[in-house]
Amino acid sequence: MKRYDVIVIGAGPAGLSAAVQAAEQGMSVIVFDENEKPGGQLFKQIHKFFGSKEHKAKVRGFRIGQQLLEEAGRAGVEVKLNAVVTGLYMEKEVVVKIGGAMEHFKGDSVIVATGAAEKMVHFEGWTLPGVIGAGAAQTMMNLHGIRPGRKVLMLGTGNVGLVVSYQLLQAGCEVTALADAAPTVGGYGVHAAKVARTGVPFYLSHTIVKAEGTDHVTGVTIARVDENFAFVPGTEKHFDVDTICLAVGLSPMAQLLKMAGCVMDERAGHDGTTPLCDENGATSVPGIYAVGDVSGIEEASSAMIEGRIAGLAAAAYLGFMDEKKCREAISCQKKALMSLRRGMFAPQNKGRKLMTTEEGIPLSEHLLKEGYVGDEEIGRFPGVRRSVGIHPVMECTQNIPCNPCQDACPHHCIRVGDDITALPQVDDTKKCVGCGLCVASCSGQAVFLLEENYAPGFAAVTIPYEFLPLPEKGEKGTGLGRRGEPLCEAEVVQVKTSGAFDKTNLVTLKIPGDMAMRVRFYRKEV
Amino acid sequence: MEYRIREHPILGEIEETKKVRFTYDGKTMEGREGEPVAMALKAAGVQIHRYTRKKHEPRGIFCAIGRCTDCVMVVDGVPNVRTCVTPLKEGMRVETQYGISARPPEKEGK
Repeated sequence: MKRYDVIVIGAGPAGLSAAVQAAEQGMSVIVFDENEKPGGQLFKQIHKFFGSKEHKAKVRGFRIGQQLLEEAGRAGVEVKLNAVVTGLYMEKEVVVKIGGAMEHFKGDSVIVATGAAEKMVHFEGWTLPGVIGAGAAQTMMNLHGIRPGRKVLMLGTGNVGLVVSYQLLQAGCEVTALADAAPTVGGYGVHAAKVARTGVPFYLSHTIVKAEGTDHVTGVTIARVDENFAFVPGTEKHFDVDTICLAVGLSPMAQLLKMAGCVMDERAGHDGTTPLCDENGATSVPGIYAVGDVSGIEEASSAMIEGRIAGLAAAAYLGFMDEKKCREAISCQKKALMSLRRGMFAPQNKGRKLMTTEEGIPLSEHLLKEGYVGDEEIGRFPGVRRSVGIHPVMECTQNIPCNPCQDACPHHCIRVGDDITALPQVDDTKKCVGCGLCVASCSGQAVFLLEENYAPGFAAVTIPYEFLPLPEKGEKGTGLGRRGEPLCEAEVVQVKTSGAFDKTNLVTLKIPGDMAMRVRFYRKEV
Repeated sequence: MEYRIREHPILGEIEETKKVRFTYDGKTMEGREGEPVAMALKAAGVQIHRYTRKKHEPRGIFCAIGRCTDCVMVVDGVPNVRTCVTPLKEGMRVETQYGISARPPEKEGK
């Protein structure tokens, strides 16, 4: 039986980060993963991440995955793929199915980073081919280059539902609608807004009545639900779709932890699906740690930090690291982790209905109920200013931990401040040169450049654009509003692409002056 | 609409890997070497992977990461193969699974 200082189970963002950190402390590390390729779900994340520089904000998930693999390689981490861990027994004995054989390993410490599985909802026809998980859609299109369907209905408006809807549009699928039984959009408003402005309708307080079809999905019926989640008769709506995507949450895969006898968290406010851990991820069984989604569903950015912390803690536990040095290193990581766990979507705000931002500004009702900020609401947010000459308009209306816009502006026009969740402000005393770096840096695609006096009677708006085909300079199309409504003719006067923008193209539209504060998207057909 | 993405706004041009041939219920089909069998079938428009044993209901891809086992088929004579995590190889024999068999129940003489 081969022995390792650390056995990591799961080669996703949390597991790999833990492995790198442990290996850097001189420990012998092996990572087991049941998949053919390492990286967990990171390689399906083609959007730019939120956070700050230290969290690799504005870097697309799959690039973070590549960086992590390179780091693991440099640190000498051994990753064993196609290796299914089937048991975690007393004395940290790990049984792994590799090929046709069961192999036994002994870990002096074990870091469990098994992630989560998608949750499910039941409705008539839910087993039909064409009803898929949102994760499946992401896997198909972003990993294998296969479109999941032609016309898709998305159930769920959490970040997964919103991000995958946008990715479906990027892959060239039609997203017919988003529905959610909850009365308000669950994910980041900026993720919702970038879907809504393409014209996809949101149906909140609606869920699926049935999936239609005999051999595969040919349509779907949704209906409104009341406050007890009962269908309201007469509110049914039918859509012709061939695919129904379910994004209704994730459930930690804690089977191995339970098997190892780790105490699950049954305290008030916890549902017993995650292990009881100390703040370093140590479970009730000495030497067994849990990190990433298996210890509580969060973003990949936090999972990576949790992994690093557990790697350090394991190093101290086995005497590879001086206690004091370990505490210092951990406190540095914790600072980064805590800054991600702040703002409106922080774990401690889960289930709370917030009415205003941290600045005391009333939240956009339209954003919560329909996925876009209303024309009459947008003016009250601090990043939305009108001034002479070209200037950024920051349609960032919720407190989320993110600040790349502040770092992006070479002329310091944009200020988030030390509080990473504060809404960005535009400093009128600094001169915007219209470089567009802020537009491309915004992971939420909520920054626009506006030049209100572009030509007599005309304004110019620069929008982030991540679709194909890319509009061409000189072409004319339709300027769309924040909910995707056609507003006016728009002429493409500039298209900028650059390595620094990382595939977020900047399209500048010439539009009638009175549309300056309304047009936020473009469609080629007039 | 074609199921295969040729060019993607973020991922760029999708690399075309080697084409291989396989059979689906006896029909010759083409897919890409190493891609999951389920993806090759999806690209060819096949949605039904199996029928359940008791109610004879169709099932297809659901999770696409090897967890749910909805997409299992009979591959090279072996039933219950998770096609979403099984790499496609030249000459593979892929068959619709009925219950746990490659033969529909009525043909089993029931």
